[in-house]
Amino acid sequence: MIRQAVGKSVPRKETWEKVTGTAKYVDDISSPGLLHAKIAVSPHAHAKIKSIDLSEAWKIPGVRAVITGEYFPVLTGSPLADRPPIAMDTVRYYGEPVALVVADQEYIAEMASLRINVEYELLPVVHSPLEAYQQDAPIIHQHLAAYKRHEEVYPEPGTNIANRTKIRKGNMDEGWKNSDHTIEIRVTLPQSDHAAMELRCSKAEILPDGKVIIYSTSQSPYVIRRAISQSFQIPLHKVIVHTPLVGGSFGGKSAIQMEYLVFLASRAVGGRAVKLANSRELDMISSPVHIGLDARIKLGCTHEGNIVAAEILHLFDGGAYSDRGVVMSRAAAVDCTGPYRIDNVHCDSLCMYTNHPYSTSFRGFGHPELTLAIERAMDLLADQVHLDPLEIRSRNAIGPGDTTPTQTILDRSNVGDLPKCIAKLKTLIHWDDQPIKQIDGHLIKAKGICCFWKNSNTPTDAGAGAIVIFNPDGSVNLLCGAVEIGQGTRTALTQLLAERLRMDDRMIQISTGVNTETDPQHWKTVASRSMFLVGNAVLKAADDAIEQLKNTASIVLGFSPAELNVGGGRVYFKNRPDIGIEVEKLVSGYKFPNGNTIGGQVIGRGSYAMPNLTLLDPETGKGNPGPEWTVGAQAVEVELNTREYTYKIVKAATVMDAGKVINPEFARSQVTGGMSMGLSFASREAFLFDQSGSILNTQLRTYKLIRYGEQPEYLVDFIETPYLEGPYGLRGIGEHGVIGMPAALANSLSTAVGVAINQLPITPELIWRAVHDSV
Amino acid sequence: MIPFDFEYYKPSSILEAVELFRHLLAQGKNPVYFSGGTEIITWARMNAIHPGAVIDLKSIPECNVMTFQENNLVIGSCVTLSVLSAVNPFPLLSETVIDAADQTARNKITIGGNICGKIYYREAVLPLLLTNSRIVIAGRRGMKEVSIHKVFFQQMRLESGEFLVQIITDRGYLSLPFVHFKKRQIGNVGYPLVTLAALKKDHQIRTAYSGVCAFPFRSIEIEQVLNDPALSREEKIEQAIVKLPAPVLTNAEGSADYRKFVLKQTMSEALSMLEGG
Repeated sequence: MIRQAVGKSVPRKETWEKVTGTAKYVDDISSPGLLHAKIAVSPHAHAKIKSIDLSEAWKIPGVRAVITGEYFPVLTGSPLADRPPIAMDTVRYYGEPVALVVADQEYIAEMASLRINVEYELLPVVHSPLEAYQQDAPIIHQHLAAYKRHEEVYPEPGTNIANRTKIRKGNMDEGWKNSDHTIEIRVTLPQSDHAAMELRCSKAEILPDGKVIIYSTSQSPYVIRRAISQSFQIPLHKVIVHTPLVGGSFGGKSAIQMEYLVFLASRAVGGRAVKLANSRELDMISSPVHIGLDARIKLGCTHEGNIVAAEILHLFDGGAYSDRGVVMSRAAAVDCTGPYRIDNVHCDSLCMYTNHPYSTSFRGFGHPELTLAIERAMDLLADQVHLDPLEIRSRNAIGPGDTTPTQTILDRSNVGDLPKCIAKLKTLIHWDDQPIKQIDGHLIKAKGICCFWKNSNTPTDAGAGAIVIFNPDGSVNLLCGAVEIGQGTRTALTQLLAERLRMDDRMIQISTGVNTETDPQHWKTVASRSMFLVGNAVLKAADDAIEQLKNTASIVLGFSPAELNVGGGRVYFKNRPDIGIEVEKLVSGYKFPNGNTIGGQVIGRGSYAMPNLTLLDPETGKGNPGPEWTVGAQAVEVELNTREYTYKIVKAATVMDAGKVINPEFARSQVTGGMSMGLSFASREAFLFDQSGSILNTQLRTYKLIRYGEQPEYLVDFIETPYLEGPYGLRGIGEHGVIGMPAALANSLSTAVGVAINQLPITPELIWRAVHDSV
Repeated sequence: MIPFDFEYYKPSSILEAVELFRHLLAQGKNPVYFSGGTEIITWARMNAIHPGAVIDLKSIPECNVMTFQENNLVIGSCVTLSVLSAVNPFPLLSETVIDAADQTARNKITIGGNICGKIYYREAVLPLLLTNSRIVIAGRRGMKEVSIHKVFFQQMRLESGEFLVQIITDRGYLSLPFVHFKKRQIGNVGYPLVTLAALKKDHQIRTAYSGVCAFPFRSIEIEQVLNDPALSREEKIEQAIVKLPAPVLTNAEGSADYRKFVLKQTMSEALSMLEGG
């Protein structure tokens, strides 16, 4: 009897380490002689550095090095290299590193960092992407034209535009001519924090032979390797990166930031091992943050509610440096319409420089933001046309035969089944049984819904490798580069492998951490693509191992490999399963009774890179940016207290087309966790800036997060429309729970209060203001 | 991470504590008393205070009592907010302190520390203001017992070297009708937009506030208005609002305008629950 592995809720491989507190994270690593680094940061959002006085810092016993940006002038960042790891000449955000201290003890480094005296000359501050967009806005990057470009990026020198993506589909004149109804809306959301439980931490050491060893809390160990190699001219193979378990990341640990600093710190003390650990405050503002958006949308539809035109402007708040904000702004252009069939689309999606902390990828990668904007627009349109909000979405739901904003033609495999998700959601939240809005004295219950879709926007050659090593007892070690950030991917990959090898998943070993020296490369653990990329590599490696087992067994058993099957720990004749041989007799090579041996250790190898992706045409956006879309429908039910405008989130629901659910418990947890994050930042998370651009809430006592006990009832369900290129048909689901939550919350509260809520976070004060300002 | 060195002392008697303070002060060590320590850590991490020495009061027996003595409830300054609300000798105080910070922090934060702290909400003082509690203070000149109204004005007014030992509350107050509201920006944990504690004695409603201004207060003028039988509830609230002792706060929790709206709402709820009877 062969145990099925796919579709089962097997527990995480690292369960025992985690529940007993023995799991090791980067900050748990200590070694004799380890030095500690701390950074001094800018108290200004935009200023010229006139001078830096390090003398007081040097006076403290135990200080080993104090460095500034001049120590190793280099510009980092991808796709656009615009950021010095330590500021040079200019600071562009509150919290930007201006100097770094290395000392024997962490507190000595901190004490010294506080004694660094910097003289600044203040510059005018750009407070928002809209301000940055104005003709006469102060220019934050004077040398934008000179910055080195990796990947596709279209900065506009002389402005604050770090990237512009254009979508030009169909004919707008035609679209507006055919529109019987039009609506216009502006939607904004501020920058916020990733707020992972584990703070960012990195350790570096440069060995006498020039080898660089880095430990880091990261989603991108292989990108760290490349970035350190390129920035500091070290041969790639001499940079070795270790990533143990990561305690939450949500995109925030895909950027390379601490790693540059800790490398420089180690270099400044002759290569000794140095650790750099963020405080919560620095993790929130000095390291990169969640992007903000200011969006304008105009939609047009026919009398029947068929959308025929969309004009969209996205101004993303990329902050002081562009990092992945560039790519997020592109992603938000690629999927700008939401999952709706619209023939005429004009979109400009811009990543703007501001004097805010810089943004990097955040779970959903531009989609929670674009979805809030388009889904508020959809509700407004439904209202204008007097259509049920779900009805207008069903009517316009994109599907096979339609084209996307980038003019990709859809089929059932690459887009899944949105109408089915909508139908299932309808039942799940009793849409037809109860009114959308129910009034009971000063309490109003209301429902809000939305749809979403998301493709990935990876480099066109993003890929992964995997190695399957058989042990002498028939058990297997799986080596791969997917980082365990709490999502359960490494365990789920062993399920794919067990399914393909038709063996017990408990016989498969996988380490908790990643080591770039021994594990095959995986682009990054981002974009909800690890199960797809690494999973395909794992299946190929499994097939390779199966072929080796069959080849050896065919000699032993006297059948051709094609007549053999592998499963249940045996290789056997297809037509007579009782004729076969145990896998463990083959995995180290088969030894005949006379001692002769054939074959050798069975080591399967596999790799996979995404085929058929193209860059986007810079003028029209035409192209194929990613392999498939995960679609879904979501809902939120709130209970608003009209006396004080406080509200309770009663229910939150998601129905998503997962292609194939590999581990139901992981899938449900992953989607629920995403929903919780989405509701948290939609309802309360935001950085508060004062007039000078300083951030006022750099601690979790004033920066609010949803807390345990405040969660609604979570309803999660799946549709399974296979994606033919995905392992067992799976689609990406890691980020998607978050995407529609802000939109569904805003829609539910707008319905409840009867006034449009087009801004995040939706605190009771915001609702009060919306009501107050509307009368 | 606290980025400086400091000395730690843990005296086991009041006298020893006072002497230590005097001695350390003379040595120029800028000593501070503490009990739970959460605020020391808060401010020291931010490099906002630099004590050369800290004096931990938690081993002083008098600071750890929670008992009835004749007609009085006596609470030591080092009793934690968790213990105070679990034992619950003073229901209004329990309700007030259980809304401060979160459970983990309340296991450390003490009533003395909350009242004497620099963080300006100091919500634990509200029930003490309403019940005219008395405060036992130790200092160089020995012990003294004074009315809370003599030492608490916006914040505790202790002289150098003095510390709060005990809080004494007349038993008669503990069973009076009361209400307590804490309104936050959002969620169940965090600083207040408005905290209002109120009780009713001899048909008169007493109210005290935190979060409204940059300090907690009880205002006799406001109470006069709120108890004026000639006024409607709306009039009472409108008139009370103009008698606030300082400008209404604007901070990360909310703007002054919104706070005023919430304050009025909260006053109205308090009055409707305590009026009549």
